Order: sequence, then structure tokens, then C-alpha cells
Amino acid sequence: MTAEPKVIDPLDVERAEEARLRTAAGLSPIGRAGGEYAGFESVGLPDRPPQTEREREVYTLAEGEMLVNMGPQHPSTHGVMRLVLKVRGEVVIDIDPVLGYLHRGIEKLCENATYTTVMTYVDPMDYLSSMHNEHAPAIAFEKLYGVQAPKRAEYIRALVVELNRVFSHGLMMGFLSLDMGGLTPILYGFINRDEVVDMLSAISGQRMLFNFFRVGGVNFDANDEFFSRLGTWRSGVLKTIDMNERILTDNEIFRGRTIGMGVLSGKDAISLGVSGPNLRASGVAFDVRKAHPYSIYPELEFEVITQSGGDVYSRYIQRIAELKQSIHLIDQIVDRMPHGPVQAQVPGIIRPKPGRAYAAVESPRGLYSVYAISDGGPNPYRFRMRDPSFISLQAIPKLMPGHLIADTMAVMASFDPVMGGVDK
Amino acid sequence: MWTDEDTVEVRIDGDRNVALLTVLRDDPDLSFWYLADAAAVDYGLGDHFEVVYHLYSDRHPAWLRVRANVSRNDPRIPTITSLWEGANFHEREMYDMMGIVFDGNRDLRRIYMSPDYRSFPQRRDFLLPDDAADSSAAGVNPLERPETWDLTRDSERLADGSA
Repeated sequence: MTAEPKVIDPLDVERAEEARLRTAAGLSPIGRAGGEYAGFESVGLPDRPPQTEREREVYTLAEGEMLVNMGPQHPSTHGVMRLVLKVRGEVVIDIDPVLGYLHRGIEKLCENATYTTVMTYVDPMDYLSSMHNEHAPAIAFEKLYGVQAPKRAEYIRALVVELNRVFSHGLMMGFLSLDMGGLTPILYGFINRDEVVDMLSAISGQRMLFNFFRVGGVNFDANDEFFSRLGTWRSGVLKTIDMNERILTDNEIFRGRTIGMGVLSGKDAISLGVSGPNLRASGVAFDVRKAHPYSIYPELEFEVITQSGGDVYSRYIQRIAELKQSIHLIDQIVDRMPHGPVQAQVPGIIRPKPGRAYAAVESPRGLYSVYAISDGGPNPYRFRMRDPSFISLQAIPKLMPGHLIADTMAVMASFDPVMGGVDK
Repeated sequence: MWTDEDTVEVRIDGDRNVALLTVLRDDPDLSFWYLADAAAVDYGLGDHFEVVYHLYSDRHPAWLRVRANVSRNDPRIPTITSLWEGANFHEREMYDMMGIVFDGNRDLRRIYMSPDYRSFPQRRDFLLPDDAADSSAAGVNPLERPETWDLTRDSERLADGSA
């Protein structure tokens, strides 16, 4: 659907210009071969020898190249993360992401918590999709313990995760434009988020770290305030999204900057482990909700949406399409929601039989999965979480060489990483 | 809702992982083309490590779980970054947290902890700060020795005339 414009590689332009100036000045042409190991002092760290082949490669500078830190406190890195950029003028040659500034050891914390209290630890991981973070462990623990949540609980779960997806994708539109200098869409994004978050706080009692899922059900039944807020929000939400879309989707400047930028092919995306909307924007129809249906998704009617471009614009369009799809899913869920209990009979301290369980859900950022091992005790023997934005980050060093520094932010925002999830 | 039969499990020796995963990925009848997860499990002192891969294929209704044994005395296993480039971050995390060395990975350095860190925090024999009370250094700080704390309040002292 997107046109394929001819993209000029800024690196070639830069080199041609430099060669022209050097010839004019009577200098010898620039030497490309070799390069020298620069060490870590240039990025403000104590010097040490490189630990790996790849590290030596990044920190070896040819003539005219330099290393620049972006972060860890850079406003556009979506949290605390440092990108070491190897640049030549304004052009990025290589990128080395440095993670761990937000590492809290959540897996280890969860291995020392009971199955019920794990739900409180996973919330602040990917803080824009807390409901999804809780969904996967809930399913994994139910598999371990051998209990099924009641039908109404499953419907409420599906409802709140879709609401969560709506506000997460809505914010992504805002952050993407914010990173490219457009301030307005983020405000509309936050208006939408606030309405959804008020709704979720009516049902769960909290605004951000919901702690709503339980093993074998959910904490509270949906109440009148929740449904009345849902109705008000539903009547106006498509209008807010349209407003955002009018600002961005048809915007000449936005299109000019995003179409054809940061193109990730489907083959590369699979190899890199990119998942979710980012993978589908590259034309690969992989959605966990369809691939390995969980919760009530087999009963709902929806298609896996894909784009063909694989560029920043496709990833943006993909988010909007999924946002609208989520709203239709919410309609279906509310229409079909049965009555009944919302919590199965489960003791306060759960001791599942020894075994292992794997559960994956489709979070707004992709495949979020939990692998839990029980040894019969009250806490998980091993609790492993696969966060989609952590794995998707690997695409950035792959895509950026040849782009301008300013475009790094736009490409990164298009992958919508959340550092709370990346660093666990 | 979930079903019991949604995962198929295969157990192999660590050094067979590349051969098996190549077949799983490239055989047209299997075509497990997506690496969903790669995680390490420690079964404690005197036991072994396990590197666990979860794979997805559209031809099969179940996740495929490949459990590869790794010796705890010599924790080495071949890398699978030649099959899936994205396995790199998984392997760096496993190295960082468990100390498993992936032969052939050209970027095997710590990813969360700082480069000069020397321990492997997710091993079962790693001592948490909460457990430090059982260590030989327990009680070095008098503030951490409750038996030395004077908890009488000023009002109580006034009442019995000792102040």
C-alpha cells in the first residue's frame, strides 16, 4: 500500500561531498582501510580491552568517525538506555545498545515470591501493558496448578487486555510523532489513555500497576462504574483516533520522513525475533491470538492484519489498524459477556505439582511469554519472562547504518520499546 | 482458557542443538520458523543446566520445547545465532545470569550487569542479600544486631525516674 520512493543513502552523499572537497583542496583521498581501536574513554567510561569481537568492531574507528553516547538520560530513548553511536558527521555507521540501567532482577524476585505475589512483581515490567504482563503468568500458573478460570473471568481478562492494548497503541502514535518534533498527538494520546486508565482503575482499583489477575480468575467483577465509563469512552474514541490520524497519517512532513525509512524485511524480522505489530508490519502474519489461541480469542471474530512496507510508516499504520481492531474486539466481548463467578476455588498459597508450563500472549509489543517450573513448593522454581521489546531492540543496530542521527529516534520509536520490559 | 496438549517436549544433549534446530527449522514438514523463547534453567549444585528453546510452526498446533542439557562443571553449548540472529540477546542474557558460554557467539558479553561484574545472579547457589544473615559476615554492623537495640521510650524513662 505504501509507495516505494527512491531513497538516497546519506552516507554516499557525504562521502562524495568529502571526496570533492578533498580533491579541491589538493588533499589525498580519504583512507578507508584499517581503523584504530578507540577504547572506552571516548564514551566516558574507564578504559578496558574489548571483551568480544563485536565490541572491538564497534569501538574501532576509521578516519572521520567518532563515538557518541545517546543516553542513558536521553529523552528519546524511552527510558533509561544508552546507545553508543558510531557516526561520521551526521550519518550513523554503527550502533551498540547498552542495557541494564533499569535492571531489577524481576525473574529472581519472582522465584522468591509465592505464585499469587508474582502478579505484583510483573506489573512494572512493561509498564504500558501491565495487564498483558499479568495475563501470561496467570495462564502459566493455571496450567501448572490445573485450574480453569470461569467463563466470565476470561471475558473480563480479554476485555481489560484489549483496553490496555488500545491505550498502549494510542500512546505509541504520540511518542512517534514526539520523537520527530510533533507535540500535539501525544496530548490526544494521553487524553485517550486517561479515559481508559480511569476505567481500569474503576475495575482494578489502581491506575498503572493494576495487580488485577489472579490464578484462576480476576480480582474484582466488572462494576457499573466501569461499564458506564466504557460506554462514554466508546462513543467518543473513534473520533479521538481520527483526530490523531488527521494530524499524522496524511501529514506531508510525517509521510516524507517515515515512508521508506528503517525498512525491515520479513525475513530479517523473523531472524531477529521481532514480533507483534513490528513483525506484521513487515508482512508476516504471526499473531499469538490466532497462532496459539488462548483465553476466549477462538470465540471472537478477527483477522490478522499485515502491512507490506516494513518501514516506520507501515509500523505506524499497523498500530492504528490494530487499535481499531481492538475496539471491535471490545464490542464483541461486551456483547457476549456471560454472567457468573469471576474466580475459581484456589487456596491462598498454591503448591502446584512438579512440572513446567509455557504460556504466551500477544502484548502490544509482541510475543510476551512466561516459562514457569514448579518443584512442588509455594514459589516457582524457575520463572522466565520473554519480553518482546528486549528482543526487538536488536533490529535497531541492524537498520540504522546509513541513516541520520535524528532518524534513529524515529526508527526506535516506531518499534515502541519500553525499557521497563527490556531491562526486567 | 488453556489446553494441556499445547506443548511438545524434546530432550537432547547440549552439543546436538544446532543440528536438531536446523532440521526443525528447514524441514518443510516441520518448519518451526520462529524462535519464541530461549531460556536457561539451573537445577542446582551437583546437577545440570538446561537451555530451553521454544519454537513455533504454523503446521503444528503445539509449541515445541527443546531442552538441551549443559554440564554444570563445563557450561558450554554451541550458539544458534547462525540460525536466528535474534538469539544473540537471549544468549547474552543467559551468559549474564547463568554463566553459560555459547561457543561461536561473537558478541557474548554481559547485557544487564556491568562489564566488571563477576557473579551469575540467577544460579541457584547465588546468595541473596536477604540470606546474608546466614553468612559468615552476619552482625558486623551493630545496627543490624537487634539484641543491642535500646527500645525504651523517653516517656518510660521519665516514669521510672531513670532520666
